[in-house]
Amino acid sequence: MKSACAATTRTVGTAAVIELSGDVDGSAAETLTTAYQSAVADGEARTIVLDFAAVDYINSTGIALIVSVLAKARAEGRLVAACGLSPHYREIFDITRLSDFIALFPDLDEVVSQLKGATA
Amino acid sequence: MTGSAPSAPRRLAAFAVPSEPGNERLALAKVAEVVTGRGLTAARLERLKTAVAEAAMNAIEHGNHNQVEVPVEVEVLQSGTEIVVGISDSGGAAADVSAEEPDLADKIEGRQSPRGWGLFLIRNMVDDMDVTTEGARHTVWLTMHTAAPTAEGAGK
Repeated sequence: MKSACAATTRTVGTAAVIELSGDVDGSAAETLTTAYQSAVADGEARTIVLDFAAVDYINSTGIALIVSVLAKARAEGRLVAACGLSPHYREIFDITRLSDFIALFPDLDEVVSQLKGATA
Repeated sequence: MTGSAPSAPRRLAAFAVPSEPGNERLALAKVAEVVTGRGLTAARLERLKTAVAEAAMNAIEHGNHNQVEVPVEVEVLQSGTEIVVGISDSGGAAADVSAEEPDLADKIEGRQSPRGWGLFLIRNMVDDMDVTTEGARHTVWLTMHTAAPTAEGAGK
């Protein structure tokens, strides 16, 4: 039932995409921290994109981890976007006001399209 | 006399999970299995599942202090158009989680801990939440209406 959080990072233009899968809960802390460090390692990423399309479960501790990523990114002058949230977790992003600070998109294609438009 | 008397609560399920981190997933899966098909929309079922998981997590962590041998007890009741889930630990009044209202801006700026979302999520996911304490038994009661919610209820 529980599936460990995994993350892969890749670069799309000036954005670093962190593709998450499994459960974003307390056990995801190290995975998320390592993924963020990898995403910003070359110093080029102006936007961090969190892709939740393959995420099964997010709990309050996972929300806290996302807040920490958001705080770190903002302190470093980076924007944060997210995509692939289910309607339920999108509602939770609204209730917690995460959606006031993180631009939400239905899927990664939309994010990429938006980023291309912004740099055109 | 044509009015109908309120129906007595009917117990749909009662079970326990050991107080081990992660077992909140067992509680939410079992509750979802029991209440599926009992009048909650898919979206409201997701809300209840999140509330159950968060309440069970608090019971495991704050109520029973991760002591595996101390169970978290879960009871699922149906009364008329209400589904009520009770989640009990053995932490007494001390199991009450801090009610500080989370403020995302304060969390981002480091004025609040990034954590502290559990109770906030529970309150916002269900139609009603109550807490009772009888000696060491501390119970969080989560209520969802199965009939179409009122405008006030829908806004929660």
